Amino acid sequence: MTPLQTALAVLLAPLASAVLIALFLRTKGTLASFVSVAAATLIAAGGLWLAFGGARFNASLEWFRIGSFSIELGIKFDDLAALMLSIVGVVGLCVHVFSLGYMHDDTAKARFFGGLSIFMFSMIGIVMADNLFMMFIFWELVGFSSYFLINHWYHKQSAADASKKAFIVNRVGDVGFVLGIILCYWRNGTVNLNELGASHDLVYSRIIPLLLFCGAVGKSAQLPLQVWLPDAMEGPTPVSALIHAATMVAAGIYMLCRIEVLMVPPAAMVIAWVGALTAFYSALCAVTQRDIKKVLAYSTLSQLGYMVAAFGLGSVGASMFHLTTHAFFKALLFLGSGSVIIGCHHEQDIFRMGGLRSRMPVTFWTFTVAVAAISGLPFLAGFFSKDAILVLAYGNNKAVFAVLALTAILTAFYMLRLWKIVFLGKARSDSAGHAHESGISITAPLVLLAVLSAVGGYTVIYHGAFDAVFSHIPEAEGSTHWVVLLTSLVGVGAGTSLAFYSTDGNDALESRHPSVFGFLCTLKASFDGAYDYYVEKVQQRLAMALNFIDLVVLSGVIVRGLAGAVEMFGFGVRALHTGRINHYVYWFLGGVVILWAFAAGVL
Amino acid sequence: MEHFAFTCLSVFSLACAIGVVLSKNAINGAMCLLLCLAGIAGLFVQLHAYLLAFVLVLVYAGAVVALFLFIVMLLDMQGGRAWKFRGFNAVAGMIAAVLLVTGLNLLAVRGRLGAGPPLGHSAGSSLKLYSYQLFTTYLLPVQVMGFLLLISMLGVIVLSRRVTPKEDDK
Amino acid sequence: MTPSLEAYVMLSAALFVIGFLGVLVRKNTLVIYMCLELMLVAATLALVAFSRFNGTEDGDVFVFFILTVAAAEVAVGLAIIVALFRVRQTVQVDQLDSLKH
Repeated sequence: MTPLQTALAVLLAPLASAVLIALFLRTKGTLASFVSVAAATLIAAGGLWLAFGGARFNASLEWFRIGSFSIELGIKFDDLAALMLSIVGVVGLCVHVFSLGYMHDDTAKARFFGGLSIFMFSMIGIVMADNLFMMFIFWELVGFSSYFLINHWYHKQSAADASKKAFIVNRVGDVGFVLGIILCYWRNGTVNLNELGASHDLVYSRIIPLLLFCGAVGKSAQLPLQVWLPDAMEGPTPVSALIHAATMVAAGIYMLCRIEVLMVPPAAMVIAWVGALTAFYSALCAVTQRDIKKVLAYSTLSQLGYMVAAFGLGSVGASMFHLTTHAFFKALLFLGSGSVIIGCHHEQDIFRMGGLRSRMPVTFWTFTVAVAAISGLPFLAGFFSKDAILVLAYGNNKAVFAVLALTAILTAFYMLRLWKIVFLGKARSDSAGHAHESGISITAPLVLLAVLSAVGGYTVIYHGAFDAVFSHIPEAEGSTHWVVLLTSLVGVGAGTSLAFYSTDGNDALESRHPSVFGFLCTLKASFDGAYDYYVEKVQQRLAMALNFIDLVVLSGVIVRGLAGAVEMFGFGVRALHTGRINHYVYWFLGGVVILWAFAAGVL
Repeated sequence: MEHFAFTCLSVFSLACAIGVVLSKNAINGAMCLLLCLAGIAGLFVQLHAYLLAFVLVLVYAGAVVALFLFIVMLLDMQGGRAWKFRGFNAVAGMIAAVLLVTGLNLLAVRGRLGAGPPLGHSAGSSLKLYSYQLFTTYLLPVQVMGFLLLISMLGVIVLSRRVTPKEDDK
Repeated sequence: MTPSLEAYVMLSAALFVIGFLGVLVRKNTLVIYMCLELMLVAATLALVAFSRFNGTEDGDVFVFFILTVAAAEVAVGLAIIVALFRVRQTVQVDQLDSLKH
């Protein structure tokens, strides 16, 4: 099989799986799940083979053409795409296997797996896209898959609302994205990534990269469009793991890395600050959460902020490196939380858990590895990627460095809080007291991801397959100095957290410092409140005004008014039909006069 | 002399025409029409169209107006109702009259027909020439007239049938 | 000295106008019909005058036809009026307005 054929198989296998499930397997949940898992296996195998086999190629097919404007569908398979495809494949496979166990008792299993397959198709489309139009098509498809999957338990009003919110907020970002694509096409004459990369007379404007960044703001949930990601936790946990932690939200970062050629320093500065502020803000919000998945959601937001900031500071390598390691440990964290949730019989409040260390050992140890990785404990994957970003920040922009360093402390703080309250101490509720480890389909992915979280930071394991990306990771001089710095940051955060939080049933911050807690809660709710106000006061009124215009002006005045005018005209003409000969003869005379006037040249 | 005859006859005709229009009684109107036709016949004679004058009196005055009188007497037995000279009718009538008079004036002022004295001998005075034309150049219209008369006869027969079958003893 | 052609034509026009006025103004159907005949006669006068002054007989012949047509038309028209009278019991035009909207 040529690389192109493999790539096409990888792209189309999930689509075939989804179509199969949608058409034939709607009621056969188990069979559908196996079909989907088979597709995921194919993707993982094909992706790894392509990536590590060294196949790098471009291929393109013209889809349609209008005059001189044409849209192509093409594959650009370079190191960046190979890296992303590997991540998507491996994490996707883990999530699919996990879902076999997690969704085992769900009534709508087939729909779920169909949605997963559609998502894989769309995501791989984004990964392989070689021009911005094609990327946008798959971008929208990914948004749709996210909507579809968040809405899996659609009879819950909160889930329905959350899915709508996710889609709409994404759309808002996509407006900017589309404008950016159009502007890019207009100014540069092409949106093909290869041509943009090779072109020597690109138009460098500040607007184009910022507009394209709007798409990333929506998709990767940066400030101010971050409000959808916490609510998206209404979907099942595998969905949260795959889409809202490891892959879809990373699509924004991926897109930014793709359009790196268009970046200009002012835009990059804006991007860096948006990322840093997002990281800091969401870390603050994560401190107050009770729901295990919401903590992880805010943690995702924070790490995405890191990636965006890294990109803004100028390094694609650091950004993608952190994306890779984050995919591993964040997926592990989510899947671990899924295992905990199932073990505690669908309990999600961390203050009703506890003492799970002895009851669910595999989950405990893998979760610990993940927590350590995300906090940046040395020699685990997260350490290397965070280190790279902090070095980069220190070298380019001290202010951003300060913000990111503070965020690192907070990350350790809230992750350790979560770890301690969930796993240590005594069981705080009945369901936690009777928790037990789940089957192999749940624990196997956890172990695999734990291994990857541990060793994923050593770039040697990639055998130089992704050198084009990873060779640009900033290395620090005097790295011992850096190790010490980072470790001390971690230590500060972790130690404070461990000391501060007790394992009884209360949130220590809430009970001992209610004002701080209250402030942090307001911080979290402020964005939602602002959007609510806008929608309610501004948009609703605008909508009502438009409705009025539509009813009164368009339907009433113009449509019915015209009809009425014609009717009036008809009435008038009807009045001329008197039925009396005398009157008709008068009209006759009138006509003759007019004819004579024409003939005599008067008229 | 001719002018005098022309003037007399034309004034007479005009007076009788106005009489037709303004008369309250339909029978009076028919009588005035008759006299008007007589005047016109005189004018025809002055124009040397002797046959036509004769035919006019015979056909028009003798048959058509007689038919009119029959029908008027058949239908209008309530006597002529005076039409009142007011309302929309009057106004419209005035406007129409003004228009028509204007037309006439324009004709008189601008319509220079540019004809001189009558040419040659008047063709109508020779019956032979007249009938020769009828039977050669205008033969087709003559035949068509024949058809027309036939059809109108049929039409009159159809129209004068009783429509409703309530007359069972006729 | 015969009167000029303009005189005859003006006379014909005057008669025509009077007839037309009668059609406009009168309410009795029969009187309207009589005025219609008056208009026809006026037209014949004009035709004869033209044929006299041009020296041809075409106008005269045409008058012949007009006379025929007028006779036929009167016959049929009066038959219609009689039939109408049978149904409507009136010949006043302002009462014959069943084509009114």
